[in-house]
Formats: sequence, C-alpha cells, structure tokens
Amino acid sequence: MKVLIFLLLLLSTCFSAIAADSLPVKPAIENSPITTPISAKLWLERLSTALKTLNFNTSFVVVKNNQAEPYHWFHGRDEDDLELEIFATLNGPRHDILRKGDIVSYIESEVSPYSVESKKISGPIPAILSADISTIENDYEFISVGRSRVLGRVAQLIRIVSKEQDRFGYWLWLDQESGLLLKLAIISLKGQLLEQIQFTHLDITDSLVDTLIQLKQADLPPVIEVPIINQDHELTWQVNWLPTGFKQIKANRHSMSSTNQPVEFMLYNDGLVDVSVYVSASHEKQRKVEYVMDGATVVLNQVVNGFEISVVGKIPSNTAKAIANSIGIKAAP
Amino acid sequence: MSESKFEKVSSLVDNYHNDKNESVELFEQLNTDSVLSDTWSHYHLIGDVLRDEIPSEILLDFSTQIAQEIAYEPTVLAPKKSTLFNAVKAKVVQFSKPFGQVAIAASAAGFMVIGVQQNVAQNEIIMPSQVFQTTPLAGFAAPVSFNTESTNRLSQKQMYIEQQRRFQALLSDHYQQVKLSASKNDSQTLPTLEVEDSVK
Repeated sequence: MKVLIFLLLLLSTCFSAIAADSLPVKPAIENSPITTPISAKLWLERLSTALKTLNFNTSFVVVKNNQAEPYHWFHGRDEDDLELEIFATLNGPRHDILRKGDIVSYIESEVSPYSVESKKISGPIPAILSADISTIENDYEFISVGRSRVLGRVAQLIRIVSKEQDRFGYWLWLDQESGLLLKLAIISLKGQLLEQIQFTHLDITDSLVDTLIQLKQADLPPVIEVPIINQDHELTWQVNWLPTGFKQIKANRHSMSSTNQPVEFMLYNDGLVDVSVYVSASHEKQRKVEYVMDGATVVLNQVVNGFEISVVGKIPSNTAKAIANSIGIKAAP
Repeated sequence: MSESKFEKVSSLVDNYHNDKNESVELFEQLNTDSVLSDTWSHYHLIGDVLRDEIPSEILLDFSTQIAQEIAYEPTVLAPKKSTLFNAVKAKVVQFSKPFGQVAIAASAAGFMVIGVQQNVAQNEIIMPSQVFQTTPLAGFAAPVSFNTESTNRLSQKQMYIEQQRRFQALLSDHYQQVKLSASKNDSQTLPTLEVEDSVK
C-alpha cells in the first residue's frame, strides 16, 4: 500500500513538472510570427487598395530626431474616378503636396510651386504602400506579427523586413476594419526606432470632403518638363555595388538646389527606398568619411582623391559606406 | 452639590471664567470633590464631541492608565560608574586626535595646492587674447601653442558649420531629385492600376 502511494506521488510530481515545463512554451508559440507569406501580403494588398479607393481624411505626426511634424492627409475619388489627394504640413513653412490624377504638385516655401506627371507622391508615406507590393517581394519579406491597439482601433502589425542585412525594417500597423495605415515605424538592424509616423485621427467618409472638392476646381501649377538629356546622362563613373534590387532611376548633371554646386548625380530605387549618389570635384584632396542620420535618412560625405562623394538615402550607414567605396571610374568599353 | 457649581465648571471648561479668585477656588474643589472632577471630564468630552474632535478610540480615563503603566514599569537602579568605559574613551580620544590633526594638515595642504594651481591658471589665461575661453585639459602649455589651439578650435567650429551646411544641401537636393524622378518615364518601374486589379 505504501509503495503504491509513493508511486502515485512520484507520478503526480512528474506530471506537474511536465505541466510547468510546457507552460512557458505555449505563449512563445502564440507570439512567434505566422510566417505564411500570403496573409501578410494580403494585408499589404488590402492597404494598397484602401489607400487608392477610400475617401479618408486623416492626421498624422512624423516623429524623428526628437521632433514631431504634424500633417493633414486627404484622399478621395470623385464620380469620374479621378484620384484626389492632399498632404499638408501643419507647423512651420508650408510644404503641401497636391495630386489630381497623375499630376502631382509640390508647393514649398523655398521654390516656386511646380508639378510633375507621376503616379506616385514622394511624401512622408512610402509610395510603394499604395502601389503593387509584389515588386519588392524579392528583396523584402512580409511578416504578420500580431495584433495590438493603435488609435483606439484593433491593428494588425505587419513587418517589411529586408532579406539581406543591408536595409532598414518597416513596421506597419494596419486597421483591422478598413485596412488603412495607423502607424509606421522604421527600425534599424539593431531594433532601434529611427523614425515613426503615428496617425492621430482617421475619418472614412462616403463622399469627398470639401477640401478635395476645392482641389478639384483649383488649377495646379504647370507641369515641368524635365529634358531627357538631363535625365539620362552618360557619366564617367559608376557604382559597382548596391544592395540587391536597386535599379538606376536616373543619372544627370545638375546644380545643387541650395548651393548651386555642380554635381554628377545618380538616383537608385529598390521599390521602397531611394538612394542618391553624388560625385563632384572638390578643392580638398582628401577628407575622411563623415555622416549624419536625419531620422532614418543617412547623409554620407567624403573626399577621395579630390572627388567629393556623397550618398543619401534611408539606408544603414554601413550600406552607404559600402556604396560610396564601390564607386569607380567606368572602364573604357 | 449646587447647580451653580456645575454651571461654574461648565463656564470654566468653555473658557468663560470671569473672576480669577473664584476659578482658583473652583480648581481646589475640583481636586478634592470626585463628583465635580467627573463633571469636569464629562463636560470636556461633551465639548469634544460637539466640536467633532474625538479621537478614534476614546480613553475616558487617561490618567489612571498612565498611573498603572508607571506602576508596572520595573524599577531601574542607577548603574555604577564603570571605570573600564572611561579608560576606553580616553584611549579613543588619544587615537583620534593625531588623525584629526593629520587630516586638517592634509586638507590645508590641499587647499594650498589648489590655490597655487588656480593662480598659475589665472596667469596663463591672462596672457593670450582668446576668442573663447576653454579650460586647459592637461598641464599648462606655452602661450604660443595655446594660441594655435584656439585657432584650431575656431576652424573646427567653422568646419562643423560647413559640414552641417553640406549635409543640409545634400538632404534637400536628394528630396527634390526624388520628387522630380517620379515622372512619366518611371511608369515602367511602377505597375499600373489595371495590372493590379486584374491580379485580384
């Protein structure tokens, strides 16, 4: 009898030990990302459709470098299916972006207003989010992480993570109900928050808001024609290394907008991130590499053998250094 | 016991006593007459209740409790003066005295050293005309090298401003180029709406 009781006791302790072991494992399973690529991609496709089709009126704050920059964002489609959109800064000098179909106007205090013919707005929200997300599928992974509460709504967290360790991660909190963006964070490779966009209010309406009706009636500034000669210039140098997926968008010679310094310039884009490369003659012979971070945007500058080389873009400083170091004279054909 | 006496007690409790001789007389009676002293405490209690000043626990007779506590308290006999204690104390004094003296001497020396250093530093600073004052880092350099260092710092500051301007120019040009890049020619890199809709 005694032996039996002892055995029972032993058994029960065994079971309790097993139960205790299995307990901490359980939440870990729940927290682990659901790596089915379809679900996260579906969320991003839903976001893209929502950003293109819904009438919404929203405010957000861009937080970087200990500063918060508030914006107002209107979007809608009228009866003729014309897309109307406004980004307006609320603090300081005006920086407004207006869009009417394929015409995007930039109204800034420093330069006279101008328009470009384009499908994408280059503003605080990455343009790819309202475009086809599958174009960056080769270089980024989409991971659905979990749910949380943002802007008083149920939000789904989706991470856009670079496959190689050479670009920043984008975390997106999407509204469960409408699929719209509620929060966006740019996270460094070490998991540090670099830049953040927090939405502060969101109104989804059935019809166009008055501001957009006004925009429809307003005349936008003239579209500037960028001469093709200026767009694709044959330069004597080349960038020999870039992270995968980056394509050359343009190459030109121009004068810097604020200093009038003549530079040779190339612009690269991987679908999500823009990277500019500048090369110009310098009066200095050599200057060691210097860089600053403006939120997630790195500005790298150095002088090598009398040439000033600069790299600007939302990329880690090490990636910018690698790009700058790969620049060389184009081999004669 | 007359009613007037209770009235007098009441006025005394309420601080309305008029005649000084009378109140002195009343206090003497309070000491001897137990009924009167009870009345005195009762009046106080009534007053406390009216003024809402009663403690959470009412001790009706505080004095008797204290008397009891005193009775329970063990008698402490005065201890003998211990000679040992005195001896130890004397030793401590002897030990601590020289240390204290040393400490005072050391701190005085320290003050002197600091004072001298400050004098030297002041002399040094007076000599070259500097644009901005900096605390010397290590040792005291000759005036000439001091001067060159200051110009270095000045140019460093200029270089910093120059650098910031350069970064700012690059950043704003980058943003502008990105805006301009989004022209019609780029439609190949960005898929059109129709393609997307057909996917869904």
